[in-house]
Amino acid sequence: MAHHKQFPRNIAVLDQVFEFVNRYLSDQGISGEAAYSVDLAVEEIFTNLVKYNRGGNDIDIELECENAVLTVKLRDHDVDRFDITEVAAVDTTLPLSERKPGGLGLHMVRQAMDEIEYSYIDRTSTITMRKHLEK
Amino acid sequence: MFEARTGENNTTYLSGRLDASQVPAAAAVLEKITTSAVIDFADLEYISSAGIGELLAVLKRLSDLGLSLKLVNLSKHIRDVFGYAGLDKVFVIE
Repeated sequence: MAHHKQFPRNIAVLDQVFEFVNRYLSDQGISGEAAYSVDLAVEEIFTNLVKYNRGGNDIDIELECENAVLTVKLRDHDVDRFDITEVAAVDTTLPLSERKPGGLGLHMVRQAMDEIEYSYIDRTSTITMRKHLEK
Repeated sequence: MFEARTGENNTTYLSGRLDASQVPAAAAVLEKITTSAVIDFADLEYISSAGIGELLAVLKRLSDLGLSLKLVNLSKHIRDVFGYAGLDKVFVIE
């Protein structure tokens, strides 16, 4: 059964977001690398929505674990379309002098999670990420 | 809960979880580093791109001054996160 909760659009609530996510992960017996990856993915996408979407609505976070696949969805209502999966990949081979922090978070999400999808329906952006759990 | 403090031998210790909401607290300590320094991750449980961006800014600032920055005692998960960003080759990690 899916587990979901709404959070105000504010980076200051990240500790509540982690508490919600980690309680679910713990209930599902998910720890270690998978739990770190999910925390990272949720934080990076949540902070991205807070920074770049101008809506005043809360952000929905939904978690579901089925058949050894953990699915995380973040929904942002009444916002303009912004497909994060189209953001250009970061060149991780650049030397320090040419490195910029921008785009790093999304790049890390792509590495940490197995799948990432974007949909935009009725002015709601939904980012769906999946992590395949080791059996 | 996150904490950053600078101790002896130019070593700064990070502990807890360094998420985006804790970056101002990290920056307040990291911005005071003005010599070649070591950052000890032994008690750091979690870091995201926001914290890594802050460390990247410190590394750039020190490098421009001809100084060095070394990261030590990273957990496997945190080391993986640096690897995701290709930053395991940019930072000196021991």
